[in-house]
Amino acid sequence: MRKFLVLLRKEVKELLTVQVIAPLLVTAVLFFFIGNLMDKEQKKSDQNTNVAVINNDSGSQSSSALIELLKNNKLKIQLLENKSETEALEEVKKNNDAALIIIPANFNQSLETGKPEKIKFFTPLNNFSLTGSKKYSTVTAAIAITNDAFSRNMIAKEITNADPESLKNPIKPDEYVVVGDKQANISPNLIMGFVSQQTAFIPIILFMVIILASQMIATAIANEKENKTLETLLTAPVKRNSIALAKMAGAGLIALLSSLVYIIGFRSYINGMSGGAKATAEVSQIIKDLGLTLTPESYALLGLSLFVGILVALAISLILGAFVEDVKGVAGLTTPLMILVLIPYFLTMFLDINSLSPALKYAVYAIPFSHIFLATQNLFMHNYLPVILGILYQFLWLVVFIYIAAKIFSSDKIVTMKLNFGKKKV
Amino acid sequence: MENVLSVKGLKKNYGQFEAVTDVSFEVKKGEIFALIGPNGAGKSTTLKVISGLLSLSGGEVIIDGLNIEKDSDKIRKIITYLPEDSGAYKNLTGNEYLRFMAELYSDTKKEADEFVEKGKEISGLGQRLKNKTSTYSKGMVRKLLLGRTVMSKPKLAILDEPTSGLDVINAMEIRKTIKKMAKEGMSVLLSSHNMLEIEFLSDRVSIIDKGKIHESGTPSELKKKYNAENLEEVFERVVEPKPEEIK
Repeated sequence: MRKFLVLLRKEVKELLTVQVIAPLLVTAVLFFFIGNLMDKEQKKSDQNTNVAVINNDSGSQSSSALIELLKNNKLKIQLLENKSETEALEEVKKNNDAALIIIPANFNQSLETGKPEKIKFFTPLNNFSLTGSKKYSTVTAAIAITNDAFSRNMIAKEITNADPESLKNPIKPDEYVVVGDKQANISPNLIMGFVSQQTAFIPIILFMVIILASQMIATAIANEKENKTLETLLTAPVKRNSIALAKMAGAGLIALLSSLVYIIGFRSYINGMSGGAKATAEVSQIIKDLGLTLTPESYALLGLSLFVGILVALAISLILGAFVEDVKGVAGLTTPLMILVLIPYFLTMFLDINSLSPALKYAVYAIPFSHIFLATQNLFMHNYLPVILGILYQFLWLVVFIYIAAKIFSSDKIVTMKLNFGKKKV
Repeated sequence: MENVLSVKGLKKNYGQFEAVTDVSFEVKKGEIFALIGPNGAGKSTTLKVISGLLSLSGGEVIIDGLNIEKDSDKIRKIITYLPEDSGAYKNLTGNEYLRFMAELYSDTKKEADEFVEKGKEISGLGQRLKNKTSTYSKGMVRKLLLGRTVMSKPKLAILDEPTSGLDVINAMEIRKTIKKMAKEGMSVLLSSHNMLEIEFLSDRVSIIDKGKIHESGTPSELKKKYNAENLEEVFERVVEPKPEEIK
């Protein structure tokens, strides 16, 4: 055990290089910074959506009501007087305003006759960013709400004793979400949006951990072979299996540490992108009541699935690493492993695996890494059996790959494997 | 004098390819024994089998009375191996590298401390041991590795081309260290292309070619037998094809 710890300490020291730490920290800080920036910008755009208005029907009741309604819907209105359309547009561009609205001269009268005049609406496009599009959608949303208010007024005026709401929306959906034997009176879009946003980062992190860990261990072995330090180690009084296990443990530890840093950075990024996406207390309670939360047992199973999955990836990389002669060969040899992780990553992100054809479905199930990605969805739905079976299946592969890796490390193959590529040196 | 190493009829195959077909020799306590031969003669393979890195396909290797096939764990405690052109861990300092290797060869912290002190002294790298090995020159790395190879006072040190690629000064320092360690009782088995080095260092040599030992003896015995000025001439005459072999 003492010698295993000596080997593990060396592995961690060798892996924790400036080249590993610096990009890790920079990426995490960047994610954090971009997330915060996005959050601030979105809040800023919420508060300051400036719109210029030329009111050619100044003094009329309807035009004043229109401007008042726009103001109440997050728009900052600047009234332009004595300006031509061209001059006003120039000013809007100069001030980087979201839009220029021109209320026609006979606006009030046209509404009263039931033939409303068109309102000119100029939107200067100057960028296609998320915050930019949010600015325009705020204006569109405000116009829609204002339109709705006017419509209600007109209905109330035209048809006495009528309920404008019933006339506008005669079909009233009463939406229920059903999860297992539980149900809640809420829109499924709201629940799905919130849950998927909260869990979006899980497969990305899983993918990154697996790829990072495998690249690390394959590079570590390639480095040792290239430097011939592996030959020295293999002749030292230490069990060969301890050398292999220390490599797996070292790479696993660093990969977990890296993913922790990424999780923090990525979460902040996602939160910033979605403007915090904080659920109201009511939605949070409904999500809880529906059982759409991960319990401590679920987290333990997800952790176990990820842990066994990482070990499978490490064992495969250990075998692949034995084939590599130098660091340059690592990327090429770990490509098959990356494909095995990418397939379930993308499929589970975009598709319901159960809706695939049986052949494709079982092909996905046959990949040990699929079960890590499927575990999150199953655990949300409290389907524990498939998760447990998935872990057992991964464990089976782990035993097979560790057996092969141990065989390679305890034989001449770890030194001579390159001979298979026709480069003999005796 | 007792034999520290005894090799009898050693064979090593890589699949169908016979890298070493028949190698036998002994190394005595405190003796420096050299294997010389052209590229691909089987020197490195022989050293790798004796160091336990590769399994043997036939024959017998006995080190300090222990059989390499049955007692490999015990043997690894009493031998050390320095591969040709090997490096050190680039992210470790010289001190950290010596400490890491010392902890693998020792059973107690006290023993590890002793090994590290010895390694530092032999390497002669002084304050540079505090720097990462990635900043070392080739000569410095070789000195560090030699320090590592002999710090645990092995009964047998196996050195594959110990001065390969080094400048004259560094090579001389390493040769002196090897001689000094042998005088202190350590047996050394080495391989080299450099005949002058072999003549200066070795007590006895074996000439190996095509996986077989062709000649063995002290440098002076061999020079006398082949009426040669130096080992280079002996080597040439031993491995040179005889007229009847030339078609």
